[in-house]
Amino acid sequence: MKVSDLVTGLVLLAAAIAIFAYAQTFPAIPGQPYGAGAFPTVVAVGLGAFSILLAWRGYEARRRDGGQQKLIALADWTRTPGTGANFLLSLVLVLVYVLLSDRIGFIPLSIGILLVLFWRTGVRPVTGVAVAVIMTLVMQVAFADLLRVPLPRGILDRVLW
Amino acid sequence: MDALLAAFATVFDPYVLLIICLSSAYGLFVGAMPGLTATMATALLVPITFFMPPVPALAAIVTATAMAIFAGDIPGCLLRIPGTPASAAYVDEAYALTRKGKAEQALGAGVVFSAIGGIFGTIVLVTAAPALAEIALQFSSFEYFWLVCLGLTCAVFITTESPLKGIITLFIGLFVATIGLDNPAGQPRFTFGSADLLSGVDVIPAMIGLFAIAEVLRVVAAAEVRLPSAAEVKGSIFRGQWELAKKYRVQVLRGSASGTLIGALPGAGADIAAWIAYAMSKRFSKEPQKFGTGHIEGIVESGAANNAAVSGAWIPALVFGIPGDSITAIVIGVLYLKGLNPGPTIFINNPESIYAVFILFFLSNIIMLPFGWLAIKSAKQILRVPRNILMPLILMFCIVGAFAMNNSLYGVTVMLVFGLLGFFLEENGFPIAPVILGMILGPMLEQNFITSLIKSDGDMLAFFERPIAAGLGIVTLLVWATPIVLALLRRRRRMSPA
Repeated sequence: MKVSDLVTGLVLLAAAIAIFAYAQTFPAIPGQPYGAGAFPTVVAVGLGAFSILLAWRGYEARRRDGGQQKLIALADWTRTPGTGANFLLSLVLVLVYVLLSDRIGFIPLSIGILLVLFWRTGVRPVTGVAVAVIMTLVMQVAFADLLRVPLPRGILDRVLW
Repeated sequence: MDALLAAFATVFDPYVLLIICLSSAYGLFVGAMPGLTATMATALLVPITFFMPPVPALAAIVTATAMAIFAGDIPGCLLRIPGTPASAAYVDEAYALTRKGKAEQALGAGVVFSAIGGIFGTIVLVTAAPALAEIALQFSSFEYFWLVCLGLTCAVFITTESPLKGIITLFIGLFVATIGLDNPAGQPRFTFGSADLLSGVDVIPAMIGLFAIAEVLRVVAAAEVRLPSAAEVKGSIFRGQWELAKKYRVQVLRGSASGTLIGALPGAGADIAAWIAYAMSKRFSKEPQKFGTGHIEGIVESGAANNAAVSGAWIPALVFGIPGDSITAIVIGVLYLKGLNPGPTIFINNPESIYAVFILFFLSNIIMLPFGWLAIKSAKQILRVPRNILMPLILMFCIVGAFAMNNSLYGVTVMLVFGLLGFFLEENGFPIAPVILGMILGPMLEQNFITSLIKSDGDMLAFFERPIAAGLGIVTLLVWATPIVLALLRRRRRMSPA
């Protein structure tokens, strides 16, 4: 996604103003004039000032090319069938993992995520299934057993070693 | 002396040597794979090094990064696709050599002069770091404040094409660093009632997001999963390198020295070093017209420079806790995790760990020769690994890695958010490294800023009272003023009639 510097600058300026306002509510260190708010205030002022400059440059660039460049334009790849969807799909799959891993568990989710992505990027089914299953088990053994990371066991809780 | 012996004993332990071999292979593979960078190799290593004692953990990172920076030359030379950004500067030159049937000479020069550059950088690291640490011991919060300011400024101005965009991403990083409880006042900031945010935004999952997830998304989005096939490298890669070393000794020395220096500057790493060294090589060459047509001279100089930068970047990282590039930004995170807080006192409190790092650097640059030979010989097979299988696996590995840092899904969420942020920034021409520098140095900057303000009772003049602080402060202010003055001059010239 290509966003004009004008838009990015204005959004960041809004964020800087919000940070500035919020930072004023932080109490000072008792007995001192400075506290938790001082540094975020400086950051907000800096971010705000440079956002204005960025927005100004974006505006100038637009004026020079006669507003030809869109404010927000989708990149070329989003128009190629498949790739835009793959991009969103990768994001959604990570989100699915965050939301469901406690309930379903690492092993089925990992195999599922890998299979979906392999299918979408044109890996041959037999290879895809074999790699998904083997690599998931490798990660389970490496992290859960050797490194003692409590990967969620989920529905396989009773079956797992 | 005892510390040195102890360091040798820890490094030449069978377990550490095994780790070195494994991470060499890993680094070579990641570096040789287009789209996977040395920074990404380091970010993905952290979840595993998390479970190791300090020296093996550092061994894994040192060897993997040194190998990855060299291995980036392999696909650059064979396919004209740089394996890491550090090889981009001379990719056309190397490919032109391949087309002349001299691939083995180009790759041989890559590995030999990478090793030489790396060793040169290490020698500087070994001599400069302890000396700088002596000076840094005298530093108070004023000096540190200016040092961090200067470092961040340097990072923005040197490394990015558009300093304005660099400054903006730097401020984003600084803001992210203020989130959480960890500030001089112990006041929860920008947490919006979330218990996870109280502990702040973890740097490691954020880095996995910025450098690995963003890259996975880019490959998926670009739909370029297939690489063209590479030819096998025949012939001896080491033949004729000695003659090259003699013929181009000035270039090797200059490349190594400039690489080390650029590496040591905050934010600028191996890729910038290679670009500058290549340009310099062309500028001072006796036969500049040959550049771009398959002339080895530029490869010799910039190949030495990018590996020298890897070692040079550790100088400010160890002495001041200011990362020299994005790899050492991760290293600083690892050092804190291992209880080896970077700063001048690390040379007093943990000399054996520091010596171990020095030995590791020498070792990894020496074993680069046999390992590099292996990698070049198996390049055809490595480059056949299908990226449509690799990228989903990396995505899954990132999830597990981000989770493993705190055993919490919060890490995975942070990774996802920063992955998207990194992708968006890169698409719109914003540099990513300043975000990480802001996140790493933000707390240090705030700590020294507030402490200095309290010490001086709000008097900004006190920031210039101590001699070193005054020097650093004036230099910083001058660098800040330069672009403003230049802009005013340009405006004035435009106003006055020509």
